[in-house]
Amino acid sequence: MNPLIHKKDHKTELATQDQLRQYLTFQVDNEHLAISILDVKEIIEINTITHVPMTPAYIRGVINLRGNVVPIIDLSARLGRQSSEISKRSCIVLVQVDYKDDIQLLGMLVDAVEEILEIPESNILPPPDFGGEIRTDFIQGMGRVGEEFIILLDINNVLSIKELSQLKQMADYEGSDHANREAGYIASK
Amino acid sequence: MTVKVSHDGTVQLAIHDEMTIYNAHSLKEMFLDHCHSGAQELQIDLSAVTEIDSAGVQLLLLLKLEAQKRGFILRLLRHSEAVIEVFELLKLSIYFGDPIVIHANWK
Amino acid sequence: MSDINPALETFAQEVDELLTAMEDALLVLEATPDDVDCINSIFRAMHTIKGSAGLFGFDEVVAFTHEAETLLDKVRNNEHLIDAQLIAVLLACKDHTAQIIQHVLSNEDEPLPIALQQQSEALITQLTGTSPVAKNMTSTQENKADHVEVDVNTSDSSDNWIISLAFKQNALRNGMDPLSFIRYLQTLGKIIDVIVSMPTSLRMEEMEPEDCFLNFKIVFNSRADKKTIEEVFEFAEDDCNIIILPPHSRQEHYLQLLEHFPEDQLKRLGEMLIEIGALTEKELDCVLKEQGSDHNAIIKPVGEMLIAKNILQQPVIVQALIKQEAIKQKINKEANYIRVDAAKLGYLINLVGELVISDAAIRLIVDKHGLSDVNNVVGAMSHLVEEIRDTALQLRMVQIGETFTRFQRVVHDVSKELGKQIQLQITGGEAELDKTIVEKINDPLTHLIRNSLDHGIETPEERIQAGKPEKGIIQLNAYHDSGHIVIQISDDGKGIDSEKIVAKAISKGLVKPDQILSQTEIYNLIFEPGLSTKEEASNLSGRGVGMDVVKRNIEALRGSVSVDSELGLGTTVTIYLPLTLAIIDGFMVEAQKERYIIPLNMVEECVEMNSTEWKIDHVQHYVNLRGQVLPYLRLGDFFHNNKKHQATQRESLVVVRFGEEKAGFVVDELHGENQTVIKPLGMLFENLKGIGGATVLGSGDVALILDVQGLIQYAKKRVSPTLALSMTD
Repeated sequence: MNPLIHKKDHKTELATQDQLRQYLTFQVDNEHLAISILDVKEIIEINTITHVPMTPAYIRGVINLRGNVVPIIDLSARLGRQSSEISKRSCIVLVQVDYKDDIQLLGMLVDAVEEILEIPESNILPPPDFGGEIRTDFIQGMGRVGEEFIILLDINNVLSIKELSQLKQMADYEGSDHANREAGYIASK
Repeated sequence: MTVKVSHDGTVQLAIHDEMTIYNAHSLKEMFLDHCHSGAQELQIDLSAVTEIDSAGVQLLLLLKLEAQKRGFILRLLRHSEAVIEVFELLKLSIYFGDPIVIHANWK
Repeated sequence: MSDINPALETFAQEVDELLTAMEDALLVLEATPDDVDCINSIFRAMHTIKGSAGLFGFDEVVAFTHEAETLLDKVRNNEHLIDAQLIAVLLACKDHTAQIIQHVLSNEDEPLPIALQQQSEALITQLTGTSPVAKNMTSTQENKADHVEVDVNTSDSSDNWIISLAFKQNALRNGMDPLSFIRYLQTLGKIIDVIVSMPTSLRMEEMEPEDCFLNFKIVFNSRADKKTIEEVFEFAEDDCNIIILPPHSRQEHYLQLLEHFPEDQLKRLGEMLIEIGALTEKELDCVLKEQGSDHNAIIKPVGEMLIAKNILQQPVIVQALIKQEAIKQKINKEANYIRVDAAKLGYLINLVGELVISDAAIRLIVDKHGLSDVNNVVGAMSHLVEEIRDTALQLRMVQIGETFTRFQRVVHDVSKELGKQIQLQITGGEAELDKTIVEKINDPLTHLIRNSLDHGIETPEERIQAGKPEKGIIQLNAYHDSGHIVIQISDDGKGIDSEKIVAKAISKGLVKPDQILSQTEIYNLIFEPGLSTKEEASNLSGRGVGMDVVKRNIEALRGSVSVDSELGLGTTVTIYLPLTLAIIDGFMVEAQKERYIIPLNMVEECVEMNSTEWKIDHVQHYVNLRGQVLPYLRLGDFFHNNKKHQATQRESLVVVRFGEEKAGFVVDELHGENQTVIKPLGMLFENLKGIGGATVLGSGDVALILDVQGLIQYAKKRVSPTLALSMTD
């Protein structure tokens, strides 16, 4: 057999032993972020997003994905920043999160998808305890790429259905179920 | 069987036997004789009838029918226990219309 | 069980159905202990399970069900009395059977756990033990023994058997003595009268005294059945024509038996009559022989012959024929059923949904390109798609009755536990709705019924004190109302004390002390989390944790729930549910460039939002439409968080109705009717109110389906409370 191929195989084996991990990097609000490639189901172009009223800003709306209605999360808004402006480079990264023994397909609206990075395990550092702009539990780790660090997001926390479905702002929007509070709210408008 | 003929045209027959299919023929002949005799009243004493079956009942019924046709009176007298049992069973007493005396020592 | 044996799966399913039928029957028996149908159905359950379990070698199941079967066979033959105690034991047997079958199915080769074994033994002892022997046994056995005293008072003269005996000429010669048969007949009952007759033309001269000319007509009073009476004349058969005409009470009895005749098998008229005892096999043979021998004439039906020959009265025959027809129809219907995997059906309905969307897409393109020659074809196809849609949805429609009857057991068990007397009355069980909804409505219904049992109906003492009948009634009713099914649970219990609720709500901080609430609003407080009026929690309906869950579950089905009550008289909970969660007829509107679907059956009318014609109150948000005060919502503004937009174009007002409530939605454009395939919005939006779901349009875009009921509530709340009150009442 070709000795070259042998050599190559040997090399990949070594690499796996070194726990090389793959991450998809993308841009949100001029920042580079990444999620594990294992979490990514699909990357799709933006089509029409139908706005769902009475929802917080981080819920961008819903799209039709081959006959299924999939919610789209505005990642920028979710991370506490302003809502994304749709541009030519905007993309939707489809991910799956677990909730109540079920799987929910969600789309993440990002400004641009960049590349797939391979980061060895040894180059992944735990999230900083404080000081970050992004909630610590959203961060799975910090990946060192050359001299720079890139934030690796923990999508099960960022896109926790339990948290997202609380729809707190929605509650503010609709006031309460009780007539007087509702009336008060209407009057204050 | 004893036959007693009185002056006023009443014939009384006493049957000292069973009234079953075995002697039905002779009973019939005898009844027939008395039907033809022209008597105004035929009385039949049943006190000594030890047994009576359907053939016997049939003959009595026929005799009653004959009496109605020929216009003489048929009276059944002193029904024996065996006769009463059958008459009770078939509710015949009313049809024949004869008084029945039930003895105290019968069951 | 990694590799599920399909045969076992069928077995499990069959067992499940049989046990359910058994339970239903047991509960019916409780009220009517001599319902033959029910006894048969219980017997059948045990018998069939025993047989099927034997096929799989489930010895424990066979051993247990055998005992139950044996006992039930006795019950069937009137040798064992069925009473409340036995019903309770049999209910326990039903549960136990389910348990042991569950065990053998999941651990095929393991022996039964000790607990189950002990339970088996305990139940078997109860089944075979010294239980009371039936007292109302039919008295044929005793009667045969000797003379029996017939109560003359019960023997109505019209209520007797009429036995006609016509002896043949040779009867006497053949050794028959009609007298002996009549004598023997006395052992079965009382001879009321005998009419002996012979041909009047008979003359003594010509008559052969050994011939028989006797005919008997016997009026006979007896409780024996026809077959037993016929047996008296068994030896006379060849020498005598026997006709046994049943008494009128028998006739009633036969009619009753026919009423409850098992409908599982189609039988011939004669067989049916023999089975109920109205006809004996000999009588039938005789009639059939005659029917067969008559080659020339047109063959008369058996029923007609039976009447002509005075063997049976006409009403019995007529009833038997009606029943036969009913069985025929039922069997035909049953034979046409096919068991289908629910998943396959679900898949089909999904595909039909996609077909509906594709159809819309095609029509869109045809319109866009003005392809008039394609139009007809597309129109025809659309029509077909619509029919396919309706048919496919119909496949999954089931009657709600089965769900309802399952609550008999709950009511039965719980009322015993609580020491209350409660009857569950079910109506409207034939109303149909989608199986997926039926499955999901079970839990909320259970909770509501338990609530009625626990908090609604009072104890017998309390009820007597309140001047009510001792026995409380819970009614479960269902009916259709404009594309919805309405389920009502009402009780005649103590009702809801609104003062208590308000006090509780104030203490929980749900309402302010000075707040004025309408009666409806007060009742709706019940659905607030953490509000319960019962001081002590019970193990049944808990501490008020349930009602908010009930409401959430029902709203998750795009339904709604409301309560009405009168203190001291009872409470009624009304649930509105959509008939299906798959495809509906929708009405598409547009507001601020977004399209929305309103379920068509909730749309009352569409009018132009024209202020010269209708009096519109922009501050209070209501419109006076032909004298009707209607709160309205400007959908665009409402959904876009009050970013007021200039209403330059003409707007439309869509009047919607939900139950008794109405409101108007102001929209920019009407797009007309549209087949709407309902797509779930998913878990992310489960707390969202005002939006019921989503659909995919022909263009591929997603449009949202409005939750009309929720939006009406918003609209009503926006108008002033006093006005809102005057509108609700």
